[in-house]
Amino acid sequence: MSQARDLIEQLMNAAGATNGSGQPRGRSGVRRPSGLPGGALAIVVAMAIVAWAALSSFYTVQPEERAVVKRFGSVIGITDPGLHFKFPFGIDEVQRVATERVLKQEFGFRTEDASALQRTRFSDEDFPGESLMLTGDLNIIQVEWVVQYRIGDPIRFLYGMRDPTGTLRDLSESVMRRVVGNRIGSDVLTVGRVDIANTARDEIQAAMDRYDNGIRIITVELQDVVPPPRVQPAFNEVNEARQELERMINEATMQANQAIPRARGTANRIISEAEGYATERVNRAFGETARFTSVLAEYQNVPEVTRSRLYLETLNEALPRIGRVLVVQDDQISPLPLLNLPDQQPRAQNLEASR
Amino acid sequence: MNKLTLPIAALIVAAFVAYNAAFVIDQAEQGILVQFGEPIGDVITEPGLHWRVPFIQEVRRFDNRLLAWDGAVSQIPTLGREFIVVDTTARWRISDPLQFLRSVRDEVGARTRLDDILDSVARDIVSGTELEEIVRSADWQVDVDGLDEEELSALGAANLERPTKGREQLEQEMLVSASRLMPELGIDLVDVRIKRINYIDSVREQVESRMISERQSIAARFRSEGQGRSQEILGDMERELRRITSEAERRAQEIIGEADAEATRIYGEAYGADPEFYNFSRTLESYDSLGENTTLMIRAESEFFRYLESTTRP
Repeated sequence: MSQARDLIEQLMNAAGATNGSGQPRGRSGVRRPSGLPGGALAIVVAMAIVAWAALSSFYTVQPEERAVVKRFGSVIGITDPGLHFKFPFGIDEVQRVATERVLKQEFGFRTEDASALQRTRFSDEDFPGESLMLTGDLNIIQVEWVVQYRIGDPIRFLYGMRDPTGTLRDLSESVMRRVVGNRIGSDVLTVGRVDIANTARDEIQAAMDRYDNGIRIITVELQDVVPPPRVQPAFNEVNEARQELERMINEATMQANQAIPRARGTANRIISEAEGYATERVNRAFGETARFTSVLAEYQNVPEVTRSRLYLETLNEALPRIGRVLVVQDDQISPLPLLNLPDQQPRAQNLEASR
Repeated sequence: MNKLTLPIAALIVAAFVAYNAAFVIDQAEQGILVQFGEPIGDVITEPGLHWRVPFIQEVRRFDNRLLAWDGAVSQIPTLGREFIVVDTTARWRISDPLQFLRSVRDEVGARTRLDDILDSVARDIVSGTELEEIVRSADWQVDVDGLDEEELSALGAANLERPTKGREQLEQEMLVSASRLMPELGIDLVDVRIKRINYIDSVREQVESRMISERQSIAARFRSEGQGRSQEILGDMERELRRITSEAERRAQEIIGEADAEATRIYGEAYGADPEFYNFSRTLESYDSLGENTTLMIRAESEFFRYLESTTRP
């Protein structure tokens, strides 16, 4: 309050000083006790005001931004990056909007630390409220995704709706649940990802256009799409079982692949051996018969002599090798009791007797 | 008193009055002038500098942008008695500020009215609908024939029919139903959307347990299928092995038989020329095999000893 009074006082002094220029200071008026002349003070105040006006008349717009300029609350235009002039004292107001920057919203997870020097770290915290949803076959699935967007039209972004970013969040959740709910779970987990992301992007964009809030969706990217945590081991078990199925088939096939060529080889060996035997057998037959035929031809010339010769020659050859030769006569008694046979064969007697 | 004091004071008062008379309507706003609690004149929709009677008229400002309403999360049973958690969201705008001012006064008042209306509408519609209808949309297309066997068995009894209404139409019904009450609030409801639907926790556990058992049965089927396929392959292998071996043996026997027959024929032809000589020479040949362990008994009358007894010619 006292400050205001001082200010008024100063202003009045300043006015008095300018009016009474050159004249001695007024008849009545305030006698300033200080040594500072009133005129000088007024100049200082005026300069301060001018300086303030000058400083608040300029603003800069960063390269990634556009500035929306309002005069008395009404939008009069958009300015590009650079240094610009505006009316001071709150007549013109500037709102900067980062139109060139790609912004993103994360659903079901949060980036915790995205410094340029190291890998991006993600928060360990889950956001099941955001990520859990129902599939068309009424199963539960956990979907994490990212929506990247840009502010395409700063005026619409600021004045189309209140809190467009919050609406983008709500709409993204709604649309993603609709798209996922319109498919069965296995589809979402496997082949449907690209399609889901594209459909979601188109639908979110359509909603943003309907709200006329100047947001341009660049892309919707699905991150982790997994069954709920408690069910995941069971899904892994299926994968393991599928691997096991493949493994068992492979092992059996391997066993067959080992055994069958080996059996083929064995079979060929058996056949070859048989063929070998056949050749040998036939050749021997030819050989033996050829020998026989030759001998026969000679034998037929002089059969008696040849017959005796063959007989005698054979015995001649065989007898030296034979361990024991017994000569028996029909009318003599058996020689056996007289002989000390090296091997006592009782059957010899029988042989003798039978003779 | 300085003679300038009075004009300056007047100037200040005039500035103060002017400042009070002028007001700004922002781009995001619309305003109504109110005089002693009574709205005066039309709604000011044009942003910029406006004037009023100072000190008497005051400005009530209302947002002219699209506004969001976020519903409370509520548990609702569906027609099929499943309890689900439904979270709805809506977009609205103040379409008639005068009416809005009279009926709900400000946004806080509007919000409580919207809570009442939209919550009850959502409750009515969800509790009269099967869960599938809320989850699926009208363009539901699941090609049952295109699914592989694994998935079909996992789906089990779940029906895969196209919903009769679907999510969008239900949302549309909510919008229509809620919009009937909106004109008297001066509100235009733009859309109502289901943001989240989930099972309540206890049901969710049951559903998860069902999913687990489904997967386990699929896993068991894979395993036994693996065993079956393996046995099948091994059986095929065994059959093939036996075929190969037996064919080879058959072929071998045939070859051997043919050779034996050939040999027999050759021997027959040759030896048939003089069977007596064959017997003779073959017997002689067999003497060759007699060795040390043999005891040969020869009759004295035999040919071999004939000349031992007498060399006279007979």
